Amino acid sequence: MSGRRSRSRQSSGTSRISEDQINELIINLQQLLPELRDSRRSDKVSAARVLQDTCNYIRNLHREVDDLSERLSELLANTDTAQAALIRSLLTP
Amino acid sequence: MASADKPINTDVPEKDVFALHFLQSLSNLRRQNTFNSPEKTNDRVKKIKKAAYVSMARAAGGTSRLWSRALLRRAAKETNKVVRFSRRKKRVTWLRRRSNRRDPVEEEEKEAERLRNLVPGGGAMETSKLIEETAYYIKCLSMQVKVMQCLVDGLSPK
Repeated sequence: MSGRRSRSRQSSGTSRISEDQINELIINLQQLLPELRDSRRSDKVSAARVLQDTCNYIRNLHREVDDLSERLSELLANTDTAQAALIRSLLTP
Repeated sequence: MASADKPINTDVPEKDVFALHFLQSLSNLRRQNTFNSPEKTNDRVKKIKKAAYVSMARAAGGTSRLWSRALLRRAAKETNKVVRFSRRKKRVTWLRRRSNRRDPVEEEEKEAERLRNLVPGGGAMETSKLIEETAYYIKCLSMQVKVMQCLVDGLSPK
């Protein structure tokens, strides 16, 4: 076990990461996910499950950005004078 | 056997920082006459999407985070149309293979691989760093979504 640790230190050049740190990071992620955050079960959610839900959540967020970009594009293109004035007032420094 | 005890900092800037950067990007687009020209809708959407990601990366602190740095680099490359693969990817593969042999957490590594593809710049990160960056990335992404949602709501006809 020590062999792996020392070798990884040589190659990565950063400090060694312990299991506890990784668990803490995983718990940190779990707090951010909307589904897993609310379930306060006593049994720990597996790290793989957290990572999987994280991937899904990120994909959802990307999709939302896509949708909102499309709607913004339509809205900004078809504005009438009143709204265009609003945007202009927002965007000018 | 000293392990790194630095506290994990996952505080993101306030929402108005994101809003400011996004509005600046939109104003740049406007200066380039993106909205008035009879462009194809897809190009316009792509430009807005790119502006969203770039402004999010800038709001999150520019180059101080690995994923924001990767995002900005990717955006700059797109404009110059030069594609280069990061050399660091090989070293991380080696690290991951070693950990696969010692720890029987293959399922975790598989999910981490999928995460690496989603988070910008993930291919060059060690797993623990990847998890830390992901937390920050998720926070910034949700901020950006909120900003865009507010903008859409404000612009939509009542």
